[in-house]
Amino acid sequence: MRERLDFEDVSIGDMVAPLGKGPLTTPHLMRWSAAMENWHKIHYDQPFATGHDKLPGLLINGSLKQQFIAQLLKEWAGREGWAWKVRFQFRAMNLAGERLSIWAKVTGKQETPDYGLVELDVGITNENGVESTPGSAVVALPYRGRPAVPYPFVPPTSG
Amino acid sequence: MPLLTDEVRAYIGREGEPFLACDAIEPGAVRRYAQAIMDPDPAYASAEAGARYGGAVAPPLYPSFMFRTPFGAPDVLTERAHDPDFDGIVMGVGNGLPELPLHGLALLNGGAEVEFFAYARHGERVLQKSRYADIQEKETRSGPMLLVIIETEFTTEAGQLLLRARKTIIRR
Repeated sequence: MRERLDFEDVSIGDMVAPLGKGPLTTPHLMRWSAAMENWHKIHYDQPFATGHDKLPGLLINGSLKQQFIAQLLKEWAGREGWAWKVRFQFRAMNLAGERLSIWAKVTGKQETPDYGLVELDVGITNENGVESTPGSAVVALPYRGRPAVPYPFVPPTSG
Repeated sequence: MPLLTDEVRAYIGREGEPFLACDAIEPGAVRRYAQAIMDPDPAYASAEAGARYGGAVAPPLYPSFMFRTPFGAPDVLTERAHDPDFDGIVMGVGNGLPELPLHGLALLNGGAEVEFFAYARHGERVLQKSRYADIQEKETRSGPMLLVIIETEFTTEAGQLLLRARKTIIRR
Protein backbone atom coordinates (compact mmCIF):
# COMPACT_ATOMS: atom_id res chain seq x y z
CA MET A 1 0.00 0.00 0.00
CA ARG A 2 1.33 3.44 -0.94
CA GLU A 3 2.40 5.84 1.78
CA ARG A 4 1.21 9.11 0.34
CA LEU A 5 -0.61 10.69 -2.59
CA ASP A 6 -0.62 14.49 -2.71
CA PHE A 7 -3.83 16.34 -3.59
CA GLU A 8 -1.90 18.34 -6.21
CA ASP A 9 -1.01 15.12 -8.08
CA VAL A 10 -4.65 14.26 -8.78
CA SER A 11 -6.64 15.64 -11.72
CA ILE A 12 -10.30 15.46 -12.60
CA GLY A 13 -10.77 12.64 -15.08
CA ASP A 14 -7.97 10.47 -13.64
CA MET A 15 -8.74 6.76 -13.55
CA VAL A 16 -7.60 4.90 -10.46
CA ALA A 17 -5.71 1.67 -11.28
CA PRO A 18 -8.47 -0.96 -11.03
CA LEU A 19 -8.47 -3.70 -8.39
CA GLY A 20 -9.09 -7.19 -9.78
CA LYS A 21 -10.83 -9.90 -7.77
CA GLY A 22 -11.68 -13.40 -8.85
CA PRO A 23 -12.86 -15.51 -10.40
CA LEU A 24 -14.92 -15.65 -7.21
CA THR A 25 -15.78 -19.30 -6.77
CA THR A 26 -18.23 -20.83 -4.31
CA PRO A 27 -15.35 -21.56 -1.88
CA HIS A 28 -14.55 -17.83 -1.90
CA LEU A 29 -18.17 -17.06 -1.02
CA MET A 30 -18.21 -19.80 1.63
CA ARG A 31 -14.98 -18.42 3.15
CA TRP A 32 -16.51 -14.93 3.35
CA SER A 33 -19.78 -16.27 4.82
CA ALA A 34 -17.76 -18.14 7.46
CA ALA A 35 -15.49 -15.17 8.23
CA MET A 36 -18.49 -12.95 8.97
CA GLU A 37 -20.69 -15.80 10.34
CA ASN A 38 -23.61 -15.04 8.05
CA TRP A 39 -25.40 -18.09 6.65
CA HIS A 40 -27.64 -16.50 4.02
CA LYS A 41 -28.43 -19.46 1.76
CA ILE A 42 -28.41 -17.54 -1.54
CA HIS A 43 -24.60 -17.66 -1.47
CA TYR A 44 -24.15 -21.45 -1.15
CA ASP A 45 -27.51 -23.31 -1.36
CA GLN A 46 -28.26 -23.59 -5.08
CA PRO A 47 -31.77 -25.18 -4.74
CA PHE A 48 -32.80 -22.47 -2.25
CA ALA A 49 -31.34 -19.64 -4.36
CA THR A 50 -32.97 -20.73 -7.61
CA GLY A 51 -36.07 -22.53 -6.26
CA HIS A 52 -37.23 -20.48 -3.28
CA ASP A 53 -35.77 -17.06 -4.08
CA LYS A 54 -36.03 -17.45 -7.91
CA LEU A 55 -32.48 -16.18 -8.47
CA PRO A 56 -30.47 -17.13 -11.57
CA GLY A 57 -27.77 -18.79 -9.45
CA LEU A 58 -25.62 -18.34 -6.37
CA LEU A 59 -24.90 -14.66 -5.75
CA ILE A 60 -21.61 -13.00 -4.85
CA ASN A 61 -22.33 -11.30 -1.52
CA GLY A 62 -23.01 -7.58 -1.74
CA SER A 63 -21.19 -7.38 1.58
CA LEU A 64 -18.06 -8.79 -0.09
CA LYS A 65 -18.25 -6.38 -3.04
CA GLN A 66 -18.46 -3.49 -0.58
CA GLN A 67 -15.17 -4.61 1.02
CA PHE A 68 -13.49 -4.46 -2.38
CA ILE A 69 -14.57 -0.85 -2.96
CA ALA A 70 -13.32 0.10 0.53
CA GLN A 71 -9.97 -1.58 -0.23
CA LEU A 72 -9.53 0.21 -3.56
CA LEU A 73 -10.19 3.62 -1.97
CA LYS A 74 -8.00 2.90 1.07
CA GLU A 75 -5.07 1.82 -1.11
CA TRP A 76 -5.47 4.80 -3.43
CA ALA A 77 -5.64 7.28 -0.52
CA GLY A 78 -2.42 5.85 0.96
CA ARG A 79 -1.46 5.78 4.63
CA GLU A 80 -1.43 9.59 4.87
CA GLY A 81 -4.78 10.09 3.17
CA TRP A 82 -8.21 8.92 4.27
CA ALA A 83 -11.11 7.28 2.43
CA TRP A 84 -13.92 9.21 4.11
CA LYS A 85 -17.22 8.46 2.40
CA VAL A 86 -18.52 5.89 0.00
CA ARG A 87 -22.01 5.19 -1.28
CA PHE A 88 -23.14 2.60 -3.75
CA GLN A 89 -26.13 0.60 -4.89
CA PHE A 90 -26.30 -3.11 -5.49
CA ARG A 91 -27.92 -2.64 -8.89
CA ALA A 92 -27.09 -5.90 -10.62
CA MET A 93 -26.32 -9.36 -9.36
CA ASN A 94 -22.93 -10.99 -9.75
CA LEU A 95 -22.96 -14.78 -9.91
CA ALA A 96 -20.46 -17.20 -8.44
CA GLY A 97 -17.61 -17.73 -10.91
CA GLU A 98 -17.47 -14.14 -12.14
CA ARG A 99 -14.29 -12.07 -12.26
CA LEU A 100 -14.73 -8.54 -10.91
CA SER A 101 -12.92 -5.31 -11.65
CA ILE A 102 -13.27 -2.55 -9.07
CA TRP A 103 -12.78 0.90 -10.58
CA ALA A 104 -12.82 4.56 -9.61
CA LYS A 105 -12.59 7.82 -11.53
CA VAL A 106 -11.87 11.30 -10.19
CA THR A 107 -14.86 13.60 -10.78
CA GLY A 108 -14.16 16.59 -8.56
CA LYS A 109 -11.72 18.36 -6.23
CA GLN A 110 -12.44 20.62 -3.32
CA GLU A 111 -10.06 22.41 -0.94
CA THR A 112 -10.54 22.64 2.81
CA PRO A 113 -8.10 24.29 5.26
CA ASP A 114 -6.36 21.08 6.41
CA TYR A 115 -6.62 18.72 3.43
CA GLY A 116 -8.06 18.37 -0.03
CA LEU A 117 -11.19 16.41 -0.84
CA VAL A 118 -11.39 14.32 -4.00
CA GLU A 119 -14.74 13.15 -5.34
CA LEU A 120 -14.84 9.93 -7.30
CA ASP A 121 -17.29 7.72 -9.13
CA VAL A 122 -16.78 4.07 -8.20
CA GLY A 123 -18.15 0.77 -9.38
CA ILE A 124 -17.65 -2.90 -10.08
CA THR A 125 -17.78 -4.46 -13.53
CA ASN A 126 -17.60 -8.14 -14.46
CA GLU A 127 -15.78 -9.65 -17.43
CA ASN A 128 -18.75 -8.78 -19.68
CA GLY A 129 -18.45 -5.12 -18.72
CA VAL A 130 -21.73 -5.14 -16.78
CA GLU A 131 -21.78 -2.58 -13.96
CA SER A 132 -23.23 -4.01 -10.75
CA THR A 133 -22.33 -1.62 -7.94
CA PRO A 134 -22.31 2.01 -9.10
CA GLY A 135 -21.57 4.65 -6.52
CA SER A 136 -19.50 7.60 -5.46
CA ALA A 137 -16.85 8.37 -2.87
CA VAL A 138 -14.97 11.19 -1.18
CA VAL A 139 -11.29 10.78 -0.27
CA ALA A 140 -9.21 13.23 1.76
CA LEU A 141 -5.61 13.78 0.58
CA PRO A 142 -2.78 15.82 2.11
CA TYR A 143 -1.48 18.97 0.45
CA ARG A 144 2.07 18.79 -0.92
CA GLY A 145 4.62 19.54 1.77
CA ARG A 146 1.95 19.52 4.47
CA PRO A 147 1.23 16.93 7.18
CA ALA A 148 -0.87 13.81 6.67
CA VAL A 149 -4.66 14.01 6.86
CA PRO A 150 -5.49 14.05 10.61
CA TYR A 151 -6.21 10.66 12.17
CA PRO A 152 -8.82 9.93 13.51
CA PHE A 153 -10.45 11.70 10.59
CA VAL A 154 -12.35 14.90 11.35
CA PRO A 155 -14.75 15.94 8.56
CA PRO A 156 -14.63 19.56 7.39
CA THR A 157 -17.24 21.70 9.12
CA SER A 158 -18.94 22.55 5.83
CA GLY A 159 -18.91 18.95 4.64
CA MET B 1 -52.28 -5.35 -0.84
CA PRO B 2 -49.56 -2.87 0.09
CA LEU B 3 -46.40 -4.14 1.77
CA LEU B 4 -46.09 -0.92 3.76
CA THR B 5 -48.88 -1.55 6.26
CA ASP B 6 -49.51 0.64 9.30
CA GLU B 7 -47.94 -2.15 11.36
CA VAL B 8 -44.70 -1.88 9.34
CA ARG B 9 -44.83 1.93 9.16
CA ALA B 10 -44.84 2.07 12.98
CA TYR B 11 -41.21 0.86 12.92
CA ILE B 12 -39.91 4.04 11.22
CA GLY B 13 -37.81 6.00 13.71
CA ARG B 14 -37.48 3.15 16.18
CA GLU B 15 -33.98 2.85 17.62
CA GLY B 16 -32.17 0.13 19.44
CA GLU B 17 -30.14 0.61 22.62
CA PRO B 18 -26.38 0.91 22.10
CA PHE B 19 -24.80 -2.49 22.71
CA LEU B 20 -21.39 -4.13 22.62
CA ALA B 21 -20.26 -6.75 20.13
CA CYS B 22 -19.81 -10.05 21.96
CA ASP B 23 -16.06 -10.19 21.30
CA ALA B 24 -13.28 -7.63 21.21
CA ILE B 25 -11.30 -7.18 17.97
CA GLU B 26 -9.50 -10.54 17.81
CA PRO B 27 -6.34 -11.00 15.70
CA GLY B 28 -7.49 -14.44 14.48
CA ALA B 29 -10.89 -13.17 13.42
CA VAL B 30 -9.24 -10.19 11.69
CA ARG B 31 -6.89 -12.56 9.84
CA ARG B 32 -9.74 -14.77 8.60
CA TYR B 33 -11.71 -11.69 7.53
CA ALA B 34 -8.73 -10.08 5.76
CA GLN B 35 -7.98 -13.36 3.96
CA ALA B 36 -11.64 -13.71 2.94
CA ILE B 37 -11.72 -10.21 1.42
CA MET B 38 -8.21 -10.80 -0.02
CA ASP B 39 -6.79 -7.54 1.33
CA PRO B 40 -3.16 -8.15 2.35
CA ASP B 41 -2.64 -4.82 4.20
CA PRO B 42 0.08 -5.54 6.83
CA ALA B 43 -1.61 -3.06 9.20
CA TYR B 44 -4.16 -5.84 9.88
CA ALA B 45 -1.48 -7.93 11.60
CA SER B 46 1.44 -5.71 12.59
CA ALA B 47 1.48 -2.86 15.11
CA GLU B 48 4.45 -1.38 13.25
CA ALA B 49 2.60 -1.32 9.91
CA GLY B 50 -0.45 0.12 11.69
CA ALA B 51 1.55 2.76 13.57
CA ARG B 52 -0.44 5.62 12.01
CA TYR B 53 -3.60 4.11 13.52
CA GLY B 54 -2.05 3.43 16.93
CA GLY B 55 -1.39 -0.28 16.34
CA ALA B 56 -2.66 -3.26 14.37
CA VAL B 57 -6.21 -2.61 13.19
CA ALA B 58 -9.19 -4.35 11.61
CA PRO B 59 -10.28 -3.63 8.01
CA PRO B 60 -12.36 -0.45 7.58
CA LEU B 61 -15.79 -2.12 7.49
CA TYR B 62 -14.98 -4.77 10.11
CA PRO B 63 -16.82 -3.07 13.01
CA SER B 64 -20.08 -3.39 11.09
CA PHE B 65 -19.56 -7.16 10.71
CA MET B 66 -18.54 -8.09 14.27
CA PHE B 67 -21.98 -8.27 15.88
CA ARG B 68 -22.14 -12.06 15.97
CA THR B 69 -24.31 -14.52 17.86
CA PRO B 70 -23.18 -14.42 21.50
CA PHE B 71 -22.23 -17.62 23.30
CA GLY B 72 -25.28 -19.26 24.86
CA ALA B 73 -27.80 -17.59 22.52
CA PRO B 74 -30.54 -19.79 21.00
CA ASP B 75 -29.40 -21.59 17.84
CA VAL B 76 -31.62 -20.21 15.09
CA LEU B 77 -30.21 -22.64 12.51
CA THR B 78 -31.46 -25.59 14.56
CA GLU B 79 -34.73 -23.96 15.59
CA ARG B 80 -35.68 -23.24 11.97
CA ALA B 81 -34.10 -26.31 10.40
CA HIS B 82 -37.51 -27.53 9.12
CA ASP B 83 -38.81 -24.11 7.96
CA PRO B 84 -38.76 -24.10 4.13
CA ASP B 85 -38.86 -20.27 4.12
CA PHE B 86 -35.82 -19.91 6.39
CA ASP B 87 -33.23 -18.05 4.33
CA GLY B 88 -30.29 -18.76 6.63
CA ILE B 89 -30.05 -15.19 7.92
CA VAL B 90 -29.71 -15.00 11.68
CA MET B 91 -31.50 -11.74 12.51
CA GLY B 92 -31.57 -10.21 15.95
CA VAL B 93 -27.83 -10.36 16.53
CA GLY B 94 -27.32 -8.00 13.61
CA ASN B 95 -28.30 -4.56 14.77
CA GLY B 96 -30.37 -4.71 17.96
CA LEU B 97 -33.51 -3.62 16.12
CA PRO B 98 -36.75 -5.59 16.31
CA GLU B 99 -37.36 -7.72 13.22
CA LEU B 100 -39.92 -6.27 10.81
CA PRO B 101 -43.14 -8.29 10.51
CA LEU B 102 -42.40 -9.39 6.93
CA HIS B 103 -42.24 -13.16 7.31
CA GLY B 104 -41.36 -14.99 4.12
CA LEU B 105 -40.24 -11.93 2.14
CA ALA B 106 -36.85 -12.33 0.48
CA LEU B 107 -34.09 -10.01 1.62
CA LEU B 108 -31.50 -8.39 -0.66
CA ASN B 109 -28.80 -5.88 0.04
CA GLY B 110 -29.80 -2.72 -1.85
CA GLY B 111 -26.78 -0.54 -1.21
CA ALA B 112 -25.16 1.52 1.46
CA GLU B 113 -23.60 4.84 2.38
CA VAL B 114 -20.69 4.65 4.78
CA GLU B 115 -18.56 7.32 6.45
CA PHE B 116 -15.23 6.27 7.99
CA PHE B 117 -13.59 8.08 10.89
CA ALA B 118 -11.13 5.59 12.41
CA TYR B 119 -10.16 1.91 12.34
CA ALA B 120 -10.77 -0.38 15.33
CA ARG B 121 -7.55 -1.60 16.93
CA HIS B 122 -6.88 -5.17 18.00
CA GLY B 123 -8.21 -5.70 21.53
CA GLU B 124 -10.77 -2.90 21.40
CA ARG B 125 -14.46 -3.46 22.03
CA VAL B 126 -17.04 -1.93 19.72
CA LEU B 127 -20.58 -0.64 20.32
CA GLN B 128 -23.32 -0.05 17.80
CA LYS B 129 -26.53 1.90 17.86
CA SER B 130 -29.04 1.49 15.06
CA ARG B 131 -32.36 2.92 14.02
CA TYR B 132 -34.92 2.41 11.26
CA ALA B 133 -34.27 5.69 9.44
CA ASP B 134 -36.98 5.07 6.83
CA ILE B 135 -39.16 2.41 5.20
CA GLN B 136 -40.52 3.11 1.71
CA GLU B 137 -42.59 1.09 -0.74
CA LYS B 138 -41.55 1.04 -4.38
CA GLU B 139 -43.35 -0.40 -7.39
CA THR B 140 -41.13 -2.31 -9.83
CA ARG B 141 -41.68 -4.39 -12.95
CA SER B 142 -41.48 -7.52 -10.81
CA GLY B 143 -43.98 -6.21 -8.26
CA PRO B 144 -43.89 -4.13 -5.09
CA MET B 145 -40.84 -4.01 -2.83
CA LEU B 146 -39.93 -2.37 0.44
CA LEU B 147 -36.77 -0.29 0.88
CA VAL B 148 -35.73 -0.43 4.53
CA ILE B 149 -33.09 2.16 5.50
CA ILE B 150 -31.13 1.43 8.67
CA GLU B 151 -28.63 3.94 10.08
CA THR B 152 -25.98 2.62 12.44
CA GLU B 153 -23.13 4.24 14.33
CA PHE B 154 -20.18 2.17 15.50
CA THR B 155 -17.96 3.49 18.29
CA THR B 156 -15.25 2.13 20.55
CA GLU B 157 -15.89 1.67 24.26
CA ALA B 158 -13.78 4.81 24.75
CA GLY B 159 -16.27 6.74 22.62
CA GLN B 160 -14.30 7.12 19.36
CA LEU B 161 -16.68 7.11 16.38
CA LEU B 162 -15.42 4.51 13.89
CA LEU B 163 -17.99 4.55 11.14
CA ARG B 164 -21.54 5.51 10.31
CA ALA B 165 -23.50 3.37 7.88
CA ARG B 166 -26.84 3.86 6.14
CA LYS B 167 -27.88 0.56 4.62
CA THR B 168 -30.74 0.00 2.24
CA ILE B 169 -32.31 -3.44 2.55
CA ILE B 170 -34.72 -4.61 -0.15
CA ARG B 171 -37.59 -6.85 0.96
CA ARG B 172 -39.81 -8.34 -1.72
